[in-house]
Amino acid sequence: MSGYSRQLTVLFWAALIASPLFLDGWNLGLLSQLMIYGIFALSLAFIWGQGGLLCFGQSLFFGLGAYAMALTTKDMIPGIPATTLTGLGLAVILPAVVAGLLGLALFKGRGLYGAYFGIVTLSAAVIAERLAINWSYIGGFNGLLDIPPLRVGWGSWQTELYDPLPFFFVVLVAALGIYLLLLRLERSAFGTVLRGIRDNETRATFLGFETAEYKAAAFAVSGAIAGLAGALFAVQFAFVSPAILGFALATEVLIWVAIGGKTVLLAAFIGAVAVKSVENVLSDTLGQYWLLVLGLLFVVAVVLMPRGLLAPFLQLPLPRALRLSGSKEE
Amino acid sequence: MLQVRDLQAGYIRGAPVLRGLDLDLVRGDCIALMGRNGMGKTTFVKALMGVLPQISGSIRFLDQEIAALPPYRISNAGIAYVPQGREIFPDFTVEQNLAMGRIGKRKQRNEPVDFVYDYFPVLAERRKQLGGTMSGGQQQQLAIARALVGRPDLLLLDEPSEGIQPSIVQEIAAILRRIVEQEKMTVLVVEQNLDLVRRLADHVRFIENGRIQSGVAVEEINRNPAMIGRYLSV
Repeated sequence: MSGYSRQLTVLFWAALIASPLFLDGWNLGLLSQLMIYGIFALSLAFIWGQGGLLCFGQSLFFGLGAYAMALTTKDMIPGIPATTLTGLGLAVILPAVVAGLLGLALFKGRGLYGAYFGIVTLSAAVIAERLAINWSYIGGFNGLLDIPPLRVGWGSWQTELYDPLPFFFVVLVAALGIYLLLLRLERSAFGTVLRGIRDNETRATFLGFETAEYKAAAFAVSGAIAGLAGALFAVQFAFVSPAILGFALATEVLIWVAIGGKTVLLAAFIGAVAVKSVENVLSDTLGQYWLLVLGLLFVVAVVLMPRGLLAPFLQLPLPRALRLSGSKEE
Repeated sequence: MLQVRDLQAGYIRGAPVLRGLDLDLVRGDCIALMGRNGMGKTTFVKALMGVLPQISGSIRFLDQEIAALPPYRISNAGIAYVPQGREIFPDFTVEQNLAMGRIGKRKQRNEPVDFVYDYFPVLAERRKQLGGTMSGGQQQQLAIARALVGRPDLLLLDEPSEGIQPSIVQEIAAILRRIVEQEKMTVLVVEQNLDLVRRLADHVRFIENGRIQSGVAVEEINRNPAMIGRYLSV
């Protein structure tokens, strides 16, 4: 645990908040995109780092959120008004419900463990990708174009967040809000139980925990957050395609989180931001070889630093409640 | 409070380890279950906790049939299990380990856990220490404390003396005895260590070939050591 982890954490968010002072519109747009990937990485870091569930198909929930946002705001779902709010709501609720139900189905009874869970989630993502390719109403292989930007305000006063700056702040608020929410969850009793289940599930059942429900609940939270990231992604690019449901993105997010560090939320977030920005720079100069570099980096991270490259510096101290209780005797 | 009738249990179908085991516990009992290796001691404890794939017969606990329940329901019914090998969470601090014993219990969720520090002062000194960095004896005390914070009706201990030096075994036995008397705790301890059994238990039951063969008061063993030879020597 680094002595400066708290300062580094605050500094990072402060730098993000201050970044509009230094960056032009184009780069702000780029940074928003990186933060969206960061939110996506947070969703995986929570379920993998805290719950010990290696989800190999996290893109399924990202894609569900993106499609839910796109279909709602393009007024393609009968009965649901085409607003930003309903779009975001559906983009969060739909993946949460899918993840929760999938979790209950997989964990209840004898339950699925380890690699089998990874394989099933990967299959689910690939199936969803195939379905989206073959479903012409949602655009088929070509996906959906012209997704409207975020719209805020009521009645006659309404405006579209078309410029990079306001959109940047929306993404920043979402990222910071989700970071704080997950951090709070992680440091709550619920988080402690999750880590207990991660370390030894049988042991946790002996202490009276219905572990399947805890895992399914954590999975649903993770799915909801991945869905929100997907919705923001759809809005920024104004375009979704079946590729964001599938294998490639699922592996990418896994690599970001592994390189950053799965047990520390901010490490996973920065892992996504860093890998993606290095990719933007290097994929021009290295071309195809970039994937080779990324693969090597992943191997190095997993073999030499299994906790991730950034986690050791960003691991926060224990919650105050756990640090100070009993200080009377000390 | 606990009635086990004709319990048959094992790991594979058709090869039961327990072959019609009967056992009764009354509230306040402190009973040691002794027997040679392979006679079914740990299997019996696992059967009680609901982790064996093959089980038949009846286990009634506080007027509830628990033989077919999943482990978390059995735990919440009021049986705390301190497994063989201690099985604390090595990456958790002492306090977090204790929290795990309490969070799952609806009634105890917000209750203070300080009373266990009175029994185990060594834990109070090490609240912030990671469980995995403590000695075997300290880990054993943590495992027992973690079971106690859930305020169980029955405390189930599987070989608490295993791998612990004799002086610490005596200390743990003395602490357990105090807990039995002060908390009016019902205890079932599976053990091969005669020293711990003498210091802790009121009665001894001997298990052989998957059945309880006989039972005696602990004083009887002190008077008649040959009895131990019959059931424990190889």
